[in-house]
Amino acid sequence: MSVSAIGTGAAAILARERWEARRRWSRAALAYLVMLLFSLVFLGPLLFAALSSVKTDPLAYPPKLLSPQLSPANWAAAASLGRQGAGAPLWGGFAPGAAVTFELTYFVPDGLTAEAPSANVPRRRPGGGLGAVQRITYAADYAEVGDVVEVARRAADGGELVTYRVQVGYPGAGPTIDRLPLDVQSPSREQRFVSSTLPPTRLERLGLVASYETITPGALGYLLGNYRRVFTEARSVTTGQSLFLRWTSNTFVYAFFRVLITLAIATTAGYALARLRFPGRNLVFLLVLFAQMVPTQVLFVSNYLVLRDGIWGLSSLWGQATLLNGLPGLLFVTALNAGPVFIMKQFFESLPREVEESAMIDGAGYWSRFSRIVLPMARPALGALVILAFQGAWNDFFWPLVILTTPEDVKTLPIGLLTFRNVYGNSGDWGLILAGAILSALPVIVLFVVFQRYFMEGVSYGGGKE
Amino acid sequence: MRRLFTAAMVALLAAIGTAGAQTIVRVQGYGGQDPAIVQRLIDEVIGADLAAQGITINYEPIETDYNTVLVNSLSAGTAGDVFYVPGETAPGFIATGKLLALEDLVDTSAFIDTLNAVFSKDGHVYGIAKDFNTLAVFYNEDLFDAAGVAYPNADDDWTSFADKLARVAALDPGVYGACIAADTARLGAFAFANGWTTFGADGGVDLTSPAFAEAFDFYSGLVTSGAAAQPADLGAGWPGDCLAREQAAVAIEGAWILGFLRDNAPNLQYGATFLPKSPTTGLSGNYLYTVAWAVNADSKVRDAAVKVLEALTSPAAQQFILEQGLAIPSRKELADNPYFSQDSAEARANKVVFEGASHGNVYGFQFGTIGTDYMGPINNALTAVMTGSVGSGAALSQAQSDLTALLQRAAP
Repeated sequence: MSVSAIGTGAAAILARERWEARRRWSRAALAYLVMLLFSLVFLGPLLFAALSSVKTDPLAYPPKLLSPQLSPANWAAAASLGRQGAGAPLWGGFAPGAAVTFELTYFVPDGLTAEAPSANVPRRRPGGGLGAVQRITYAADYAEVGDVVEVARRAADGGELVTYRVQVGYPGAGPTIDRLPLDVQSPSREQRFVSSTLPPTRLERLGLVASYETITPGALGYLLGNYRRVFTEARSVTTGQSLFLRWTSNTFVYAFFRVLITLAIATTAGYALARLRFPGRNLVFLLVLFAQMVPTQVLFVSNYLVLRDGIWGLSSLWGQATLLNGLPGLLFVTALNAGPVFIMKQFFESLPREVEESAMIDGAGYWSRFSRIVLPMARPALGALVILAFQGAWNDFFWPLVILTTPEDVKTLPIGLLTFRNVYGNSGDWGLILAGAILSALPVIVLFVVFQRYFMEGVSYGGGKE
Repeated sequence: MRRLFTAAMVALLAAIGTAGAQTIVRVQGYGGQDPAIVQRLIDEVIGADLAAQGITINYEPIETDYNTVLVNSLSAGTAGDVFYVPGETAPGFIATGKLLALEDLVDTSAFIDTLNAVFSKDGHVYGIAKDFNTLAVFYNEDLFDAAGVAYPNADDDWTSFADKLARVAALDPGVYGACIAADTARLGAFAFANGWTTFGADGGVDLTSPAFAEAFDFYSGLVTSGAAAQPADLGAGWPGDCLAREQAAVAIEGAWILGFLRDNAPNLQYGATFLPKSPTTGLSGNYLYTVAWAVNADSKVRDAAVKVLEALTSPAAQQFILEQGLAIPSRKELADNPYFSQDSAEARANKVVFEGASHGNVYGFQFGTIGTDYMGPINNALTAVMTGSVGSGAALSQAQSDLTALLQRAAP
């Protein structure tokens, strides 16, 4: 009786433990599921944008996750074509002496005689975007298209699959050309296009024409064609330099100086407000708080006018009639920011006073206490500040939009992306815009992954506001 | 050493001298492609001549909403010396008195009269059209061939046009006769064909008149009958997109569609023809879309600004823009340009768009001082009828009362 009672008791405890274990597991599973769902909701669009940025037509409907650009078999074909076109398996091109062999397979139904399709290299000028405005070299002026010949034939369900080969050569001398476009037209819609060395960019005229943007892309040129265009196509009209590179370097310079100025002002002012006793200290602090409460939009017209006139003509002392359209003016309005001062003041106040008092006993003045004791102790807060200031500068949109308008070379990335949208959005060229957006997001993503810990601390110090 | 110093001083003084002789003319215009176009114009066509006169152009593109920025900068006194004025907002800008009257400074007779009319008020011309567009019927020849239907042509009236579209739509459930948006910027052209005008003789708007109601029923009927679809229903952003993807056989657009087709459907076999005629009047109608160069009345470098405007609209500049396939010129003399008689679908379409300006009842795409707000109530009515939520009579009387209220609020 008692043994069995103990047995039942033990069994009950075991059952309960198992039940609790199951409950723990199911709770953990639920928590993970919820987190997975959240990350999918938040990261899904980014992931989809990244996948779409390699597509020829990111707007293709219905949307697909994968595109021909992501298939390794196509990379291999693109590399081999790039080698034939310009001896460049990675980035492709069309150079003198090239001999490119391209194959296409058609389905010929029973009762129809297979006929060779016609191929030509079109003289195609870009219709939209900056490409439409620039002078370009046409592959059509140098390419020589050979006869289209049948090379293989095999039986298929209800007909035959016939493969044709076309050779495109570059006799004589001339420049190396980025793209070698090709159009291949089937003799009839019944003789249906099935496949080719590289998938066509688009099938047009109800399947009659297979059209290729370039048949010598090279592996990377094929996968990252849009990314390459971001750098090569968007060029400054005045200097001919890549606009995107220019915008990126502008943004780096802007972010660097803004971080520097923010650090210098926030630490010194924060320390002074936290530790120094001087008349009007509370008033200064109130002003700092007040400055933080006024929205930028309220001040921007007056600030704009001040910058336009070069701070009441002051800037003409160093030869600038206006501070618009330049980094100094941008830094002048954005780097002087009350938020970081407030964060640093709060942080310095949280440091134990005793540490500084002991340094004072050793004869340290304000400056050496600040630079030797307090600053090293403030490293986590400084890290957070650096990251938030960098991120803020990198993504800053409002002030650069107002201040940096002309020429294109002075812009920062977010404004540059707006230009891209205006130039390429109208022509439906979203691949290039997405590629630019992904590229501009990369530095902040890398920064986040590397300095995750500081980000979290920064948010907890600053309450999310930079 | 001293000689070197003197030489350096002379060089410096010379540099300052030439820099001082240059007049800088600030030019404001659209962002996007335009900075590159203007730069090429300066580099290749007009720059050397202006430089010889000591004039430098400083182009300032506006990437955000152009009209808002122009209103702000005109009132703040920061606007450029020369700037774009879009036709649809021109009456509002002219009313501010900030645009310089140009009829005595520039030979306006060289430009197409209907274009001058868009920028005129009380006998004064306030802008010189830099280029223009009209609407045309762009059609996919393959789809018409597959359906065994004759291509749309200049003799079509609304009935025969709608019939052709319906027969193409019957070809395949995935294919529509046309792709049309709920947009006053298209419907208005059909109402013009019927003799309707944007504002009546008394300055009011009459949307319930038979002339407008007939056009409204024809246009919305294309969608409700299933012959046409709206772009959004086909997953497209605009009608040009449907045409490029071969989902619709017809799109009613201007020459701006050509560059898009070149990129997105380079092998599309398309043609272009005039808009179909109204069965009542036997005429077609059309909108003139145009943007002008105007001179700031407050400009401190007015003479130089006028010279820049003349250079930007000179025959050489317009010839260059036309031959690059970027826009259609506003000068009368360029009607006989060899470009228009080239044997390409693009040149033929450009010719139809160019001639559209003088074909039937053509009026500027503009709506008095209230600007494009005018289109809101009519667009809403079109959307409501096209989606089948209201009948056209109720939708039109709603639009009429909304628009009347809008005009009353805007009246001084």
